[in-house]
Amino acid sequence: MNSVAREVATAARELADSLSGEQHFIVTQRSRVSDGAGKVVLVDGGAEVGEYPDLIAEALARAAKKKRPSAILVGATRTGRIIAARLAAKLNLGCLSDVYRLRVQGSSIVGDRDVFAGKAVAEVKADLPCVATVKVGTYPVTSEGSTGLEVEEVGSLHGDVRLVETLEKRGATTDLRSASVIVSAGRGFRKKEDLRLAEDLARAIGGALGCSRPLSSDYGWLPEELHIGLTGVTVRPSLYFALGISGQLQHVAGIKESKVIAAVNTDRDAPIFQVADYGIVGDLYQVVPAILEILKG
Amino acid sequence: MSTFDKNAVEESVRLKESSGGSVTIFTVGRSDAKKTVKEALAMGGDRGCLVVLAASEPDPHDSLTIAYLLARAIERAGPFDLVLCAEGSSDIYAGQVPPMLSEWLALPFLGYVRKVEIKDGVIRCEQTLEERVRVLEAELPALVSVVSEINEPRYPTLLQIMQASKKPIEEVRSELLTDGRAPPRLVTTVRMTAHAMNRKRVIFEGSPEAASRKLVEALRSEGVLKR
Repeated sequence: MNSVAREVATAARELADSLSGEQHFIVTQRSRVSDGAGKVVLVDGGAEVGEYPDLIAEALARAAKKKRPSAILVGATRTGRIIAARLAAKLNLGCLSDVYRLRVQGSSIVGDRDVFAGKAVAEVKADLPCVATVKVGTYPVTSEGSTGLEVEEVGSLHGDVRLVETLEKRGATTDLRSASVIVSAGRGFRKKEDLRLAEDLARAIGGALGCSRPLSSDYGWLPEELHIGLTGVTVRPSLYFALGISGQLQHVAGIKESKVIAAVNTDRDAPIFQVADYGIVGDLYQVVPAILEILKG
Repeated sequence: MSTFDKNAVEESVRLKESSGGSVTIFTVGRSDAKKTVKEALAMGGDRGCLVVLAASEPDPHDSLTIAYLLARAIERAGPFDLVLCAEGSSDIYAGQVPPMLSEWLALPFLGYVRKVEIKDGVIRCEQTLEERVRVLEAELPALVSVVSEINEPRYPTLLQIMQASKKPIEEVRSELLTDGRAPPRLVTTVRMTAHAMNRKRVIFEGSPEAASRKLVEALRSEGVLKR
């Protein structure tokens, strides 16, 4: 969460500068105060608030009514999307979603967002004040530390959803997002054991392992945090190596910022070749061992 | 209908099959959206409600507009136990409508759900977030958004498709839901441009060995292969 929050802090700083205003870093848990960047505001609604996006939204709404910010930015994670949308509905404010390259134009904020699974870019606009979720991986992470604390008491909060338990903790998706080389596996792999080929290639070229949606969501061969695409992680490595991935729009949405895309697929007409810089039409079971052999020599 | 929406319809029909009740399909659009409602009815929905935008209304890209109209239409339709939504639309994928809708209907919101169970008026869900899965509970009525791994949507049979055309679809003009005023529209799309995807699209031919050699050379000269 922290690298996302620190990206959002950068976006907020840029906007605050063009509005000649102040940027505040909002936390809703006392334990998170030291993670802040710049002037930190603790919107204090009690210890439980952090687990519940609806309570975070309510706490922020109460604080916003008092402090009247020009814009409230949230990282576009799943939790962040819930918080922002509920907050916008509570305050009846416009909500830009998954935006980057945010800029002030007159009394509005304009941002870019990818639509149609990344096939097009929409320029979207909301009048100030507004809420926005910032697309993850689009702003540099601020290194600024916490420089002061203000506490905003918002009274007690009651939610209508109970957290029963947390089932699985997954690895952070941060590794894949910051990887400079990624080897990614798709449905061209016939069984789970064969993924060793992708792992071997990843190891040989110093890359991280990723996958397309079927391998994590349908087959359960790899954990969900390695799922690259529209509903998974967006990556921007210098080299993206797609093995046995057909290149559905939803997958391409997560890789299009890669510097170089290489693809191996048996199907000459697979859409992945339309978005790849270099491709081999062939069986990954023959091609990957051949590449490994060349890299050894 | 988008694939994400099919997952929501499928789950609602499964819940109907296991717990009883009926399924109403709501959507906002032009009159041609009726065929989308019919698709959902063929999958097992009982009736439809299409909120028809006035001809003068531009396409709503603003989630707040859509959520507002849906909230009014759902309230108007009477009491219910559960509202199921897709996690997002396949074109815009903002994922904002479900939480906004829950706020306006004052319902508990359980978002990004991969498993739903209902027992004694309590809904229990598995919510899948980027870095963890959580089990959440709430009293009904509630609002849930589902992720695509929750189920495999059924393909309706020809008979079901034919029967669907006899199921009632109510068309409600959006002005009726907003007392004649325009719905809130706080976000506008200024312009849309095709994303430039300038890729080299070089295909290496030959034996796996020959093609691999050319690929490795190309990647080395790009400077993206350090070893």
